[in-house]
Amino acid sequence: MEMANTSSVPDVPAVSENDWITLLKDNSRSGGQSAAALPSPGKARWQMRVGSSIRTAPVLREGTLYVTSIGGHLHAIQTDSGRLKWKFKAGRAIYSTPSLNGANVLFGCDDGKVYAVNGESGTKVWETATEGQVWTSPVVRQGVAFFGSADGHMYAVEAQTGKQRWEQELGGRVYSTAYAAEKKIYVGCGDGQVHCLDSATGKILWSTLTGNGIDSSPALVGDTLLIGSLDFYVYALDASNGAVRWKYETGLGVSSSPAVSGEVTVIGSKDGYLYALEIATGKLRWKTRASQVITAPAVFGDSAIYLQSGGVHALDAGTGNMLWRAGLASGVQNVPVIAGRTMYLTSNEGEVYALE
Amino acid sequence: MDRRTFVRRTCIGSAGLLVGGLPALGSNEVVLPVAPPIDVHEAPLAKKSQLGMPGLFPGRVVEIADRRSIVANRVSQPIVHDMLERGLKELTGESSAQAAMTKFIEPKDVVGIKINPSGAPACCSSPELVREIISTVRSVGVPARNIVVYDRFGDEMDQGSYHAVLPPGIRVVNIQDGLLDASGYDANVYCQASFFGEWETRSYMASVVANGLDKIINVPTFKDHSASGVTGCLKNVAYGTFNNVARSHVAPYTFTNPLIGVMCTVEPLRSKVVLNIMDGMRMVWHGGPLTQNQEFIYATGLLMVSTDPVAMDTIELEAIDKKRLEQGAPSVWEHKASSITTDNREFYQDASKNLFYRQPGHIAAAGKLGLGVSDMKQIDHRRLQIS
Repeated sequence: MEMANTSSVPDVPAVSENDWITLLKDNSRSGGQSAAALPSPGKARWQMRVGSSIRTAPVLREGTLYVTSIGGHLHAIQTDSGRLKWKFKAGRAIYSTPSLNGANVLFGCDDGKVYAVNGESGTKVWETATEGQVWTSPVVRQGVAFFGSADGHMYAVEAQTGKQRWEQELGGRVYSTAYAAEKKIYVGCGDGQVHCLDSATGKILWSTLTGNGIDSSPALVGDTLLIGSLDFYVYALDASNGAVRWKYETGLGVSSSPAVSGEVTVIGSKDGYLYALEIATGKLRWKTRASQVITAPAVFGDSAIYLQSGGVHALDAGTGNMLWRAGLASGVQNVPVIAGRTMYLTSNEGEVYALE
Repeated sequence: MDRRTFVRRTCIGSAGLLVGGLPALGSNEVVLPVAPPIDVHEAPLAKKSQLGMPGLFPGRVVEIADRRSIVANRVSQPIVHDMLERGLKELTGESSAQAAMTKFIEPKDVVGIKINPSGAPACCSSPELVREIISTVRSVGVPARNIVVYDRFGDEMDQGSYHAVLPPGIRVVNIQDGLLDASGYDANVYCQASFFGEWETRSYMASVVANGLDKIINVPTFKDHSASGVTGCLKNVAYGTFNNVARSHVAPYTFTNPLIGVMCTVEPLRSKVVLNIMDGMRMVWHGGPLTQNQEFIYATGLLMVSTDPVAMDTIELEAIDKKRLEQGAPSVWEHKASSITTDNREFYQDASKNLFYRQPGHIAAAGKLGLGVSDMKQIDHRRLQIS
């Protein structure tokens, strides 16, 4: 049985608790649950604009925030001042949340490539090409980066060199960021299937069909795989064989991705509700209408949940009650990063905020 | 002047149309401002396409109804497949969907599919329908890479998850990111008018339409619209092709009539739109185009197919107005000051309120510009009830 480690990143350890190296903080999609709950932000420590829309989540390491933008840039921003350290120009628009691996920042691009850029200097280390847009975030485990492409393939490349290990054709476009367990890769697909692949070979081990396409990114908790589908359901699958353990019906499609904390997963739906479900049973703990439409994942603080959707929202993690809202930083797939007493936000309008 | 053509469209403004015999003004009705002339700078064509609006079958609209096509807010792709096939066959008289599509599309064409994602996810061009249209276009021999599914706004397309759920190889393109991004527009093709003394008086045509596509299949939705009365075929390709269109509204006034029709006449847009397939799975009878309020969204389970955007929008307008009256909401033709609100929240909750004096006359105005048939008596409205 493969067990997700929910407190640390297996092979790419964060340098400090405040680091946030990939989508939902770390490879276990914990969503920053060790971060303290923040009071309502009182001020913006700094604010800057990158010059084009941002439709991704930022990542953070050692005082540098990395932000990708539609203008085709990866921006490295100093968290103490909000000053731009450098920016790297990729071939086209970027809709891929970056991830950090060692000294490198990895991200996909609309030119079909995945880039690795040195996080200190902003120089390109390697690039590798696919035949379609890469909106997924490369996920690194045991020295291998896994990512899907709109060309309908999953790819595995060496994280240090970009050299291809394998590629595997799936039945549809891949906009779901993979979950990398020790020996298996889990990913959703635009044709509605959830796939489990052998991480060494790319061979498909099992597939489970849902009722519509998938752009939600899965999370593994113990031997349960959680994922949303555009068929309106949140699914819990047996990670060993893909059997459906339970599914929970929401009011519209589920593009958001599950964030996990203890026995509960929180996931949004396009019906505007955020749902807290018991991972073991699928039983609803609470649901709260947070916005008109939710497509981004939420993140956990110690006792609060944060969500960007038509502004930023903070909810009590136990009850779902709204704690506070701030009418800034609208986003589609933007996700807050919480580090100490600071919340970093990006927005559709191309703004980056440090709030405290 | 370069190869482009500069013309001033003689257009009949909203006030002119009202005088011309549309519903009589009540005593509380306001007098609306007359639209200014609109200058058009367009790309000249060696020969206008016979396929362009109103296309091969002016005045003919095929409506296909199947209650099974939308159940519990979910669209059934197999049922939509059947509806589309029957609609295309009835429209063209051909024996298969593939044969019908060959009347409009050649294998060498680069084909644009103009969706309407505004209002996603509650009501937008259904991905299930778009997938079926793609499949039919591909059956003609068009390679996947030559099919472009597009709209202006990327965030709205994201809300509809189009990128993820369409087949691999299809290009999914948004023209602009953010309200001020003009990089995706052709500076040589535009409509120019000063409606409210705005600083930028031009609206430019999307480059992908001006230069990147050979044919366009228009996939509008079935919606009320707070400014234009309804949004159907005409508005989807007009305001979905040109930028800087919000300037045509300053509440409570709007110049969607005549701007929508004029934009549809601009070449090469007019010649490239060869087929309209309206997604009537859901009808938004109030709160359009952006509402997410399910109270105002009705599962109609319809598809309409036509080459004539004016005829189809005329039918849409009548159906939506009928539904509004059934629900106790004012007609989209009503122009009473008491119905106007400046509070968006009130508009989205109260069907008796509106943000603008709506301009459903834009459809008849487009008819007068030669884009199709707006007289219901002249429209060949064919209804196919499957289930």
